[in-house]
Amino acid sequence: MSIVTVQLGQCGNQIGFEVFDTLFSDSHCSQGLCSKKENEAYQTSCKERFFNEQENGVLVARAVLVDMEPKVINQTLSKSAHSGRWKYDQCACFCQKQGSGNNWAYGYSVHGPRHEESIMNLIQKEVEKCDSLSGFFIIMSMAGGTGSGLGAFITQNLQDQYSNCLKMNQVIWPYGTGEVIVQNYNSILTLSHLYRCSHALLFHENDAIHKICSKLMNIRQISFKDINQVLAHQLGSMFQPTYSVEGSFHYRRNPLGDLMEHLVPHPEFKMLGVRNIPQMSENSLAYSTFTWAGLLKHLKQMLISNAKMEEDINWQVRAPLSGLSALGKMSFSKELHFNTSIANLVILRGKDVQSADLGGFKDPALYTSWLEPAHTFNVWKTQRAFNKYEKLATLVSNSQFLVKPLDMIVGKAWNMFASKAYIHQYTKFGIEEDDFLDSFTLLEQVIASYCNL
Amino acid sequence: MGRRRRRVDRGAGTWARALPEAIAALSRMLPAGPSPETFRRAKFDLPEATPALWRLLFQVLSPRPEEGATVSLALETQVRLVKSVLRAQGYPRQELAELPEGGSQGSRELLLAFSWLLACGTLLEQLLARTRVRLGDEMPVCECEDLTCGGASLGQPALSKEADSRRDVRYVQWLMGKLQCRWRNLTSSHQEQCVLLSKIHEYTQGCHSDQSLGHLSVAETELLRDPEGGQELLRALECENARLEAALTWRRLELVFWQWMDTVLDACLPSTPSAGSQPTFLPSLSDHGPRELELVAWELQALQEELRVAVEVRRVACEAQVQGWGSEWSTTMRSLKEAVGQELAALQKAWEQEGGLVQPHGPHRLVRSEAGALPCWGLQAAEAIRALRSKEACLEAALCCLQGQCRQELARLLRALPGVIWLSPRGR
Repeated sequence: MSIVTVQLGQCGNQIGFEVFDTLFSDSHCSQGLCSKKENEAYQTSCKERFFNEQENGVLVARAVLVDMEPKVINQTLSKSAHSGRWKYDQCACFCQKQGSGNNWAYGYSVHGPRHEESIMNLIQKEVEKCDSLSGFFIIMSMAGGTGSGLGAFITQNLQDQYSNCLKMNQVIWPYGTGEVIVQNYNSILTLSHLYRCSHALLFHENDAIHKICSKLMNIRQISFKDINQVLAHQLGSMFQPTYSVEGSFHYRRNPLGDLMEHLVPHPEFKMLGVRNIPQMSENSLAYSTFTWAGLLKHLKQMLISNAKMEEDINWQVRAPLSGLSALGKMSFSKELHFNTSIANLVILRGKDVQSADLGGFKDPALYTSWLEPAHTFNVWKTQRAFNKYEKLATLVSNSQFLVKPLDMIVGKAWNMFASKAYIHQYTKFGIEEDDFLDSFTLLEQVIASYCNL
Repeated sequence: MGRRRRRVDRGAGTWARALPEAIAALSRMLPAGPSPETFRRAKFDLPEATPALWRLLFQVLSPRPEEGATVSLALETQVRLVKSVLRAQGYPRQELAELPEGGSQGSRELLLAFSWLLACGTLLEQLLARTRVRLGDEMPVCECEDLTCGGASLGQPALSKEADSRRDVRYVQWLMGKLQCRWRNLTSSHQEQCVLLSKIHEYTQGCHSDQSLGHLSVAETELLRDPEGGQELLRALECENARLEAALTWRRLELVFWQWMDTVLDACLPSTPSAGSQPTFLPSLSDHGPRELELVAWELQALQEELRVAVEVRRVACEAQVQGWGSEWSTTMRSLKEAVGQELAALQKAWEQEGGLVQPHGPHRLVRSEAGALPCWGLQAAEAIRALRSKEACLEAALCCLQGQCRQELARLLRALPGVIWLSPRGR
């Protein structure tokens, strides 16, 4: 089943390119540590999901590119054309001459309705190329104007027109010290609108990835390209094929659907985060060996201590004793910043994957008490190595990991709103104070729901 | 069973010869049919015959009998399903429900239950249709098959125990979300199948030797791709032929079988005084089903009696009141009766008109034809779609009605909670 990617704004287009490039280069990588036949099945499965094969054999990304300024789209198109391996469809792009000036309201209320028809037509054309559509993957930022404002508008339209298809939004959480003064306003408006019309919000925090680049990848001068590559690596390890059942060599047909079913069936809990282990530069990779037991022990501690990378692990945090009541559990977890999960999915790729023991992730103490243990944890595996990593574990988690940053953004936005700062820039384009209040209410509810796990 | 129970005048010798032949034909006709010997053993209620008969009933009654399902499900689960489907279909004998879930005894009861199924419906036709070799691509246009097992489920009885009432509502929402995901998955799989079928039909246009069909089906295309599969198909067709031949023999000889079943029933009657058989079964029952059932039945009876008395009192009071109202009342009554009569007549008329249109039924072979070259036979896609749409509208109306009832109930419950503000849930 296929996934149609919608790349929105500067951020969405740059990340989208890296994601497709990673997916392509991984599936055509000769170091997959598996038989030729298996490699072919892997490639076919990846192709069906993300690429459309032209008659001359060239792969075209199943993507629609949208931006209000031509610069980034032109760069993206030419980069993919120059790679000589895969490309974007020139006709699947939509751009204009003038951006949104970091104003969410402009993207949502002006650009959105004005260009709705053209953009939705492009998406429909892309959908018609798929034999079967599993859903949409929408890449956008959270704090800007075009990606976030227009992104929310488009997601809403997709929900109206393709209500039976899944929608997952990949959202980039801005730097805590962002340069845009109204980024908190933009963020709460994006989040609240997406929460109403998307099925899952997958977050990447710029700060966390920046830290991964400097600490784990040893990059001195960190550019957006570096950050986007780390991000694409994480997304690739999430979306590349895995076996449908343990022991079978058939690849999962509908990974997006399965992932949503495992992790976000509840309408109040839609926030997902991804963590990878190991994560390092290609140079160090050649000199390192890992065991599954070691990797999984670290990954579990990353989960419960809410560490974005291995270096941040706090080994003091322990899972609460399962005998404690929910109330006791809450105070206990607050104390040590224990990160309670709703559901987790671990994806293992590489050598000896069948020998990995995942018992640690099944411990009911890691999870909220209202869910049956059978629903909380899933594992996907494949023997095929990903992106030259001999062993790689990816954790996709629906947990409390974002409650604190979310609470902070809502708090800052509320303070500005209370003093009516910059509100006129939004009301000017039709976003009223009531819309802000609705957004605050919804997000406060989300925070409360996650806190009361 | 009475429908087919007729005495045939035949010599004892013919009877003795014909009976094994009839039973053999029956056993050949059934999917994974038990040996004729099993039937004989069951007449004498021998325990050896029990597992085979439970399996047979499960095969016959399970909604989607795949080969794997019989093997993978535990005998206890099969037994539970068989019992609950039979109950849902109105099987009258209490003795069957009281058989132990271990599936170790009661082969005669099972034989009776099977014969009941055989006698009271079109079981054999259904079984033959189910095992038919399908060469064409088919589409069902009605849900009658899915409905035959309505009311019965494989679910563990433990699920309905008291623990449920204390479940967190978030868990229910979670399950609901999962269900929606599965539903979505199913829809997109269906769509994919349609797209692929349409591609195959388009590419193979003009390849079929049968002019009225024009194109190949999936099974036929598969045969072209993999000629080895032809042997497999041949074997399947031969099996089907054997089953159909057995069915013909059965039709010829079935009276003998029913005669024999009479003797089974006779053998059964004196030996099962219900009081005598109960103690042997009761201790082995793990849950208190029968006891609870008795209690419920008793309560029901008491309630019905109470209701009857209450209704009587009300009626008397009401009649007394009405007599007090006099002529005004009788005119209202008359006009009401007239209105009801008119409405009934209108409904009847509408129904008669509808009756002219035969509702599409059963599976149909999918045949793609060029626009303008519509064949005069068969069911047009547009007709099928219209029928499905009307059914969809009916179901949607029913759903709306149920949702309305739920909302009212919820509102009623909430009014009872002081200080609670109700925010209606957001749709996904």
